[in-house]
Amino acid sequence: MSSDAAPSPESLAEETRRYHHFIVLALWLAVVTGAEIVLIYLPIPTAAILTVLTLMSAGKFFAVILWFMHLIYDKRLLFWCFFAGLALAFATYAALLMLFSVDRIDTRWFT
Amino acid sequence: MSDAAAAHEAPTSTGIEHKKLIMWLFLASDCMFFGTLISTHLLYRKLFPAGFTDAAGHQRFIQDLFSIELTSFSTFILLMSSFLMALAVSAMHKGQLKSFRRNVLGVIFFGLIFLGCQVYEFTHFYHMGLTIQNSVLGSTFYVLTGTHGTHVAIGVLWLILMYFYSFTGKLGGHVGALDVEVAGLYWHFVDIVWIIIFTAVYLVEYLGPYGIWGSGLPTVSQ
Repeated sequence: MSSDAAPSPESLAEETRRYHHFIVLALWLAVVTGAEIVLIYLPIPTAAILTVLTLMSAGKFFAVILWFMHLIYDKRLLFWCFFAGLALAFATYAALLMLFSVDRIDTRWFT
Repeated sequence: MSDAAAAHEAPTSTGIEHKKLIMWLFLASDCMFFGTLISTHLLYRKLFPAGFTDAAGHQRFIQDLFSIELTSFSTFILLMSSFLMALAVSAMHKGQLKSFRRNVLGVIFFGLIFLGCQVYEFTHFYHMGLTIQNSVLGSTFYVLTGTHGTHVAIGVLWLILMYFYSFTGKLGGHVGALDVEVAGLYWHFVDIVWIIIFTAVYLVEYLGPYGIWGSGLPTVSQ
């Protein structure tokens, strides 16, 4: 059966190339996580820290889905399927944030 | 898409294996699920920044509970488990079953460490007075991190079953590699959800004396 065929030399070479990408990415993820922890103790404005933390977090997120989850090697359709879910999740947060605009809500309703 | 990947295009109308496509669609839906849980936690933290009142009636803040060292360790463990999972998938694509087993055992081990850390954290928080019923913070925090923990536990169970299944001789070839890849997608998803939770739930609480949400206490008028 073709499904049990041994991997071709091309796919073996491709997997070896990816293997090195994974090692570099793992090191990079560890360094960024360490930087995040250091960042929260730095005496710089909260808004700046929050922006950098968001960017770092987004960087780690996309690095994992692109390389570890093979989205960069796979068909674009898979990326758009996942991106649709991701966009809806962010839209939900944005909608809730606007709906519960903190300056206008009376939280005594909930107590 | 690379030439090697193109050479293995699936004989389906999309050119993508059905198992893989369905897993990605499931992950997209799970993304929305976690999106609502994270949104709920963040909104309620903003609306009720004061934290919670423990059994003795004392006002407590979330910053008193969190241990950045423990959470950072858990995050590092989960990231490295994701790395090992990527190596396990790569090994299966190369037909190296022994290497797959070694890596997947590492993933299971790291997953169990993560779960152990979460059990310790929940127990510690409970003894400090934070329960799922006594505050909005407790409700959203336990539901969010507990749901994530359940996903990790399901992932660990799936990988344990896959590890033992590999000894039957049925986990091989392209189909076996695809099964491992689908399990890997699930595991990586659990990792990326934690990346968001780590920043949005834990790290933001360390910005400023009371985190970005403030203390929730009335300010003294000048």
